[in-house]
Amino acid sequence: MSQENDALKTALQELDKRYNKTVGVASSNLCTHCGWCVDQCHYYLATKDPTISPVAKAERVRRVYKRHHDWMSRVFPRWTGARELTEAELDDWVEVAYRNCTLCDRCMANCPLAVDTAQILLAARGVLLAAGKAPEMLVQLADSALAREENLDFFKEFFLEQLKELETEVQDRLGNDKARIPVEVGGAKILYVPLSGAHTITPPATVFNAVGESWTISMFEAANYATYIGDIPKAKRIAERILNEAKRLQVEEIVLAECGHAYHAMRWEAPKWFGGPLPFRVRSILEVMDEYVRAGRLSLNRANNPEPVTLHDSCNLGRKGGLFEEPRRVVRAAVEDFREMTPNRERSFCCGAGSGLVAMPEWEDIRLKAGGPKAEQVHATGASVVIASCDNCRHQFLELNEHYELKVQVMGLAELVVRALVPSSSG
Amino acid sequence: MSAEEFLHFAEFELQIIALSFFAIMYAIKAWTMARLPMRWENAPAKGSPGNGVAYSYAATVVPWMMSSATQHWTRWLEFGLYHIGAGLAILSTFTLPFTPQIMTQPVRIVFAVFVALALVVGAIRLWRRITAPDLRVISTPDDYFSLAAVEVFFFLTFMTLVVGTDGWRLAYFLVTAAFLFYVPFSKISHYVYWFFARVLMGVRYGRRGVMPRTGGAR
Repeated sequence: MSQENDALKTALQELDKRYNKTVGVASSNLCTHCGWCVDQCHYYLATKDPTISPVAKAERVRRVYKRHHDWMSRVFPRWTGARELTEAELDDWVEVAYRNCTLCDRCMANCPLAVDTAQILLAARGVLLAAGKAPEMLVQLADSALAREENLDFFKEFFLEQLKELETEVQDRLGNDKARIPVEVGGAKILYVPLSGAHTITPPATVFNAVGESWTISMFEAANYATYIGDIPKAKRIAERILNEAKRLQVEEIVLAECGHAYHAMRWEAPKWFGGPLPFRVRSILEVMDEYVRAGRLSLNRANNPEPVTLHDSCNLGRKGGLFEEPRRVVRAAVEDFREMTPNRERSFCCGAGSGLVAMPEWEDIRLKAGGPKAEQVHATGASVVIASCDNCRHQFLELNEHYELKVQVMGLAELVVRALVPSSSG
Repeated sequence: MSAEEFLHFAEFELQIIALSFFAIMYAIKAWTMARLPMRWENAPAKGSPGNGVAYSYAATVVPWMMSSATQHWTRWLEFGLYHIGAGLAILSTFTLPFTPQIMTQPVRIVFAVFVALALVVGAIRLWRRITAPDLRVISTPDDYFSLAAVEVFFFLTFMTLVVGTDGWRLAYFLVTAAFLFYVPFSKISHYVYWFFARVLMGVRYGRRGVMPRTGGAR
């Protein structure tokens, strides 16, 4: 009982700590319960369950905030549906904030009042973390990023061996035995930060070598799972590893792998955590490839990609990151038949796996179901290749492909570019 | 106090008292929100926060900017009519007592038509809230009451504009005053927060280059 009380006390303190302008406005009487957001949510569209519409999800957290901050709710909570925070309420929040929402922002973009449901639910995630109720898997993934830094020598040895093998693949693709995956190169222009899979290393390395870029690869991964659980101090430490490496190597800019949340975190959120702009330019590999294409530095043959190709707008790269036209320019330069999904860009649907859901095997059922609207979008294009420039989305598409029998090939943008690359153009 | 004096009191003194209370409550609300901590966007901008804010406000009134509006254009039309009616009904509370000379017959008719349309839309909204499962599950007593209260306000505005006898006028101003005392505590106060929310969204999306949209057909 006392433990329960302690958890509730901690949760209430955290709730208060997270009551900033964004959360305060979104959890006020701003929301009129008009229901416009309901069918803008991929969860609702997939399940038709009114209890997991954006407004219904936000309301579960908002009613607790209202109990503490809204005049009417303090005196007549039943009148406004306000509630005190209880243990049961917290357990419900795990479902609401982690399982049933991918924080994709689509509801806010389509709300006449601009209610920021994702920020309310992110606050709930932070409260759950403080109360010890955040999904263990996500906490561990965040911790593992820091463990890599603490045991860097061990990882480094293994990583360097892996890079040697991948370097051979790059050389073979370019027909150039001087192609390199450079490590620890001080003064390089670009510090490229990959993810754990080889698919985030070999294709960008091929592109960098093809244009003769000055670059070096990071010892760390771009992923920052702490952002999913609303753990800002930890997210800051994860970002700091890369910033310190960039400072040590005196690079000019940090370029992130095709990863939605890593881009969102480092490009847009990290400056807030550190209290000002970062000392380095931060870009996604998508922007860098777009620059190469526009400058004519990459020689691409569209005929290498004759099949119909469609592009998925990852929520973190697109609606939360502003990268819409950059990947499109690259795709158009690399394929013969580009087909837009409808809707697209800031109206795009989430793939269903965002915000850490992809890492939670126990929620696979709802994840695949929530990916239904996206699968329909892909199917409607008739494309046989889907470009997913976010690793979580990519993983989800591989599963959606099987689950919905889409019969598509899923790849990242750099992989597509490498397929179109004319090796003779190597710089 | 005679009936005439009471009507005068309801039209003037009572309105001023209620409006003052209303204004003070709103000022407190706005001040409370303004002083909350905020981590503003500070990464190098890709787009313009100013354009983002302008686009954000425009998105409410331009139907093709939100798919929730384009997919349900009749709902958007209802939204527009309801708020035009509400605006004119509120305006009437000032113009009828303070500038009666501008409330000519044609003006009254125009006002009355829009208020009547808003009254019909309000009834549709109330019906939908009662019957649609996705709205029922999120509705609170305040939701139903606020909608019903606005319906009463619209009805009395309409009758005052069209019939305009002392009885309707008195009922109209008494309800208006009651309304001014209730609104700051209810969900009807949403528009105060709307100004904040649109700025917050516009700054973020504008700075990040999400809004305004720069390419592709909708």
